[in-house]
Amino acid sequence: MDAARTVDAVWKFESAKIIAGLTRLVHDVGLAEELAQDALVAALEQWPESGVPGNPGAWLMTIAKRRAIDHLRRTRRLQPLEEERRESRDPDADPDDVLRLMFLSCHPVLPTTHRVALTLRLLGGLTAGEIARAFLVTEQTVTQRIADAKRLLAAEQVAFDLPAGPELADRLSSVLGVVYLIFNEGYSATSGDDLMRPGLVHEALRLGRLLAELAPSEAEVHGLVALMEIQASRSAARTGPSGEPVQLHEQNRGRWDQLLIRRGFQAMLRARATGGTPGPYMLQAAIAVTHAQARGAAETDWARIAALYDLLVRLLPTPVVHLNRAVAVGMAHGPAAGLDLVEPLLSDPALRDYHLLPSVRGDLLERLGRHAEARVEFTRAAALTRNAAERDFLLRRADATGSGQAAGHLRPEPGTLGQAAQRFLASQDLTPATVRSYTQTLTRLRRSLGDRLPLTGLTPAHVSRVFTTTWQEAAPSTWNRHRATVRSFSAWLGGEDLAALLPRRREEPRAHTPVDNTILDELHDLPLRERTLWHLLRESGAPVTTVLALNVEDLDLDDRTASNGVSWRKHTARLLPALIAGRPSGPLFLTDRRAGPGATDVCPHTGRRRLSYERAEYLFKQASGGLTLSRLRRRAGQNSRIVINVGR
Amino acid sequence: MRYLMMSKGSDTPPDEKLFTEMAAFIEEMSAAGILLATGGLDPVGIRVASKGDEITITDGPFTEAKEAVAGFALVEVRSREELLELSRRFRRIVGDGESFIHQVF
Repeated sequence: MDAARTVDAVWKFESAKIIAGLTRLVHDVGLAEELAQDALVAALEQWPESGVPGNPGAWLMTIAKRRAIDHLRRTRRLQPLEEERRESRDPDADPDDVLRLMFLSCHPVLPTTHRVALTLRLLGGLTAGEIARAFLVTEQTVTQRIADAKRLLAAEQVAFDLPAGPELADRLSSVLGVVYLIFNEGYSATSGDDLMRPGLVHEALRLGRLLAELAPSEAEVHGLVALMEIQASRSAARTGPSGEPVQLHEQNRGRWDQLLIRRGFQAMLRARATGGTPGPYMLQAAIAVTHAQARGAAETDWARIAALYDLLVRLLPTPVVHLNRAVAVGMAHGPAAGLDLVEPLLSDPALRDYHLLPSVRGDLLERLGRHAEARVEFTRAAALTRNAAERDFLLRRADATGSGQAAGHLRPEPGTLGQAAQRFLASQDLTPATVRSYTQTLTRLRRSLGDRLPLTGLTPAHVSRVFTTTWQEAAPSTWNRHRATVRSFSAWLGGEDLAALLPRRREEPRAHTPVDNTILDELHDLPLRERTLWHLLRESGAPVTTVLALNVEDLDLDDRTASNGVSWRKHTARLLPALIAGRPSGPLFLTDRRAGPGATDVCPHTGRRRLSYERAEYLFKQASGGLTLSRLRRRAGQNSRIVINVGR
Repeated sequence: MRYLMMSKGSDTPPDEKLFTEMAAFIEEMSAAGILLATGGLDPVGIRVASKGDEITITDGPFTEAKEAVAGFALVEVRSREELLELSRRFRRIVGDGESFIHQVF
């Protein structure tokens, strides 16, 4: 047997315990992992000859601990007292260390992707290559994330301890979130060829089961485990022979894994036994349990599931939970009740391109006998999904609905929105710019409403819904441009005005509203660069590009003018010296970081690049709640106040 | 991947030490999410055989105690190496004897 692979197997069993024990000893998870890796290298050297020791975990721990103590002795000269205290504690004494390690690797200071990578690395013992393959990213990316994560934890001086009191709930929810994310990435792969990646499902289950042993008094931990066990029990049943998804109510329940279901039930009982108000994971688990308890789809207790969703939607009011609740209500209290809950979701921008919304709506419409509308929804859902197996499935449903017309392709047909839009764009004497602009509007309409929507069914209400989910926050000019397209399109169709429900929006002049100086003065919390730029724009009235193009050597501070004619007044004058900070030349406004090699327009003194228009615009939009920089420019006779959002 | 491990009985009766070590091992493996199910088997057993339309039921025992399967464990591991490492630890606790392992599909 291959010794290296044996060492790897032992490592995966033991690494979490070893790294956790060492982290408590050396107070640095990066160093702890290095020391543990040293022990692993020693094992790789010695075990092929000496054989695997009787207790390989203890062997690895002994070696790693020895290295740690060597390390502490070396640094002791610098900090004798503190190291003495640390060393007095035995690294393999505390079973809570692994739990501490879990809290550490899921710490909120880390970006989510980094939490996931670090958790799989430290708790699962996976290599960067294994993590990279599971998440379809490069090994280099994973290595970088793990290194960044360790650096961040050290920089933020995150303590290796168990959170208590009010902090516990937050930190625990972060840990649960990471585990469930790993599970979901495996269970419903969002990308790649397979619908599932079983390796990740297994890792998440192991992490969850481990967590349940380490934190047995937390109901949500058992809730998450129950949820994952029961979801995983359906793995074999949720894809058909050619890889297509099989919906829950059509799954062969004989293929559900009864062992995992039973484990899920047991976890649920433990969750209930710990008491308290059920949290989001427990409620989702309770829903999964209710499905699992039904011997057949027809026996599902939908009333109970709908009631559970009523509770869940209060704790987790996400659009997807709302949609699932509509499905449950549709099953429990009839399709009309479900449809009532779906309708408000149509104007939710977050679900604009979510294929399950039209898919669910199509299903409800079909059950109500509104076949033509159902067909449109299924076809629209098919156009939105990115999974080929799912698209075929939705097109088959569209085919099977009502009229029996073939819908096996997505080509627009006569009398439909898609076909009319294509003819409209082709038939007129339009300039290329107009065609581009019209195409933007019509593409969005076709995407949101479906190419197959019959023109007879196209109403101002439909169009209004698309506008509110897409361009509600857009600038008035953008809104009006799309509105104009709809008006031309309606006129060409010769029917009613499809823009009837779309009010024309008042367009403000491009550059106008000066910001009250006293308000800009109050922005002490914002960086000096931003405050200077905004005052300069405000006082000079010069175009943004001109101001950003200024160089230090162009400025005459005494005269309050620049060589290109830009001039300013007292507020800018007060800030400029600090911003220039003694630089004799180079761009006046600089980026925050040093530019990479080969960058142009770089300050010779700081190595930073000139601040770009895009970045400057973004910073002001963030601070002002969406205003553009050009609105800072002074124009005679206007004096409205703009409130700047200092909190950002 | 899942494996079913079946272990035969042993000549030497289990002592206190074996019980303690085995309990700790089972606890550790369950906590790690590896051991899914385990149990002991009654050596007596029932045999059900079918031939044509005929079903024959016979009560055991059929073999000597040390030849019969005495216990099973269903484990979920990442690899064959993990499985073998696991079985090594198990055999070290139970002493002389044999186990048979099959992958569960």
